[in-house]
Amino acid sequence: MNRRHFLKTAGTASALTCSGLTSMLIELHAFTQNANLSKVEARYYKKHPDREVECTLCPRLCKLGDKERGYCGVRENIGGTYYTLVYGKACSIHIDPIEKKPLFHFLPASNALSIATAGCNVNCKFCQNWEISQVRPEQIRHADFPPEAVVLMAEKNNCPVIAYTYSEPTVFYEYMFDTAQMARNKNIKNAVITGGHINPEPLMELTKVVDAIKVDLKAFSQDFYTQYVRGELQPVLDAIKIISKSDAWLEIVYLVIPTLNDKPSEIRKMAQWILQEVGPDVPVHFSRFQPMYLLKNLPPTPISTLVDAHDVATQEGLRYVYIGNVPGHKSENTYCAYCHNTIIERIQYHIQKIEIQGGKCKFCGALIPGVWT
Amino acid sequence: MSKVVIITGKNIFSPDNDVSDKILVHMYTKGIRALTGLPKLKDCFRSFLPVRNTIGIKINTIGGKGISTRPNVALCLAQTVSENHGEVGDIIIWDRTNRELREAGYKLNRNGEGIRVFGTDTQGIGYNRNLVSHHNIGSLFSSIQADQVTSSISLAILKDHGLAGVTAGMKNYFGAIHNPNKYHDTNCDPYVAEVFDTSLIKNNHRLTILDALIVQYHRGPSFHSRWAEKQGMLIFSFDPVAADTIGWQIIEKLRAKKGLPSLDEEDRTPRYLKTAEKMGLGIADLDKINIEEVEV
Repeated sequence: MNRRHFLKTAGTASALTCSGLTSMLIELHAFTQNANLSKVEARYYKKHPDREVECTLCPRLCKLGDKERGYCGVRENIGGTYYTLVYGKACSIHIDPIEKKPLFHFLPASNALSIATAGCNVNCKFCQNWEISQVRPEQIRHADFPPEAVVLMAEKNNCPVIAYTYSEPTVFYEYMFDTAQMARNKNIKNAVITGGHINPEPLMELTKVVDAIKVDLKAFSQDFYTQYVRGELQPVLDAIKIISKSDAWLEIVYLVIPTLNDKPSEIRKMAQWILQEVGPDVPVHFSRFQPMYLLKNLPPTPISTLVDAHDVATQEGLRYVYIGNVPGHKSENTYCAYCHNTIIERIQYHIQKIEIQGGKCKFCGALIPGVWT
Repeated sequence: MSKVVIITGKNIFSPDNDVSDKILVHMYTKGIRALTGLPKLKDCFRSFLPVRNTIGIKINTIGGKGISTRPNVALCLAQTVSENHGEVGDIIIWDRTNRELREAGYKLNRNGEGIRVFGTDTQGIGYNRNLVSHHNIGSLFSSIQADQVTSSISLAILKDHGLAGVTAGMKNYFGAIHNPNKYHDTNCDPYVAEVFDTSLIKNNHRLTILDALIVQYHRGPSFHSRWAEKQGMLIFSFDPVAADTIGWQIIEKLRAKKGLPSLDEEDRTPRYLKTAEKMGLGIADLDKINIEEVEV
């Protein structure tokens, strides 16, 4: 495929996606400004005396008095009971290629009905979706989109996957969990795109109803998490270990930000940790940073830096290492770890060819880790 | 040196706990006169509120009926300003949401005659779309504060705060941003000071008045009647840091009187005050604050 053909095809795909989305929104009777928030009791919290509660969903463990909201901005203590305000209140609904998440070893070339609500439990200075993740639900438009409607829409639009994405699905846990359960009953798979800032118990429960989880490991130092994420590294590492031991498929993304988390020594430490704790077969994506939100003073990541990160991780023994946000780069492709032939060829989110059959390399028969059917 | 004026309304509460309008107006005029030191009331108000400015009175209604700025406390201030200044522009009493305003007893008035009362979530208001990035702050500001108000008064409830230590005049401006939930780590420090230090607050802020009529001294910011005590005070200062510093001392005195540990002992020292002082926003050193107390 030449560049002109690619652009033409991509444009058509994009137009189809938009037109599909338009019709969906009509079905939903359009977004409404300041629509009512949900009042569904949260599943992970403790009640304390004097109408106080303690959220146990994520490592922040917010302690809240009556009428207070957690750090995420979407859970509120109302009279001593803790509620999620975003159950069934989707602020983003799109159909995306699964490669956009990115999930490269999970049903390639599939469409994922992708949903999000407002809110996030961290505050990354480089967030590309801050206009939905860093706001309260009443500050943006959202649709009433209960779990059964999500599943129905996925069916109607031939989406084999529902993705919980864009903001931080941990903060809409109950909505995600119930939707995932319903989707499973209809043979639709579930993919979670998360920062991994979630406590072990809710995460272990979640892994029982979803099929893939992509974790954004934002750096391999607590200093970075303190300064640029406002979160903790260790709970994310713990989450990665839990997912790797579950039945859910795991991929890891590392956004490489110039001067902040791009030191080869840090990348090497991370690769060694992944190798030791998760194994060599987990796909790791090094993505290119673009200046946005509160980090507009830094340039986009030089491609050479991404290549260096890729090479370090490969040298350490990781078998499926990718470069992301660089359309057309050869490290968007999947190569068989044994015969080194190209087994999935990609240009950005578009699959050009797949040389995998029955989960095995067509050339040498080696088993390729992932979820292929 | 900074000056803080504490006016105590001796008989401000009626037997059924209402607050007297007449005494409130008297407290406001006394307070402003003592703060400015000027003999004529008109000169007092004009010394800090330029003519034809739109005055914003940022109140605090997050605590519901139990511990919010009472409607007549805000309305009497607006009336006192309007009548004595003579040439103010609009006066807007405002907070985050219309729901919270209504729950605290306010009657909304978006476009009508007289003093206007409405929340940022009013249709057509919302948040200014320009993201303000300042030190650790990345926030959208209420269009009321960003686009309408040219002189701002923080009329804040004084209470204990489980994270910041105290919530008073400076933290009241958390209600002017879209994401205050992101700024409660590390005792809300340095965030309280940094939000105040943004040009949209610092350049418009004219006066702090702490509503210490009833002070919740423990387990705030939510309302708990057993830890709330009538003090009958309004605290005035042009120095936002000094006002909060004195507010903190009042909470500490109440805590000591009730046998509670100090905020420092509970690891809740309002550290934002020292940070604010370092940033040049005011004085947090008690030795450099003149306190004038008047009883009416």
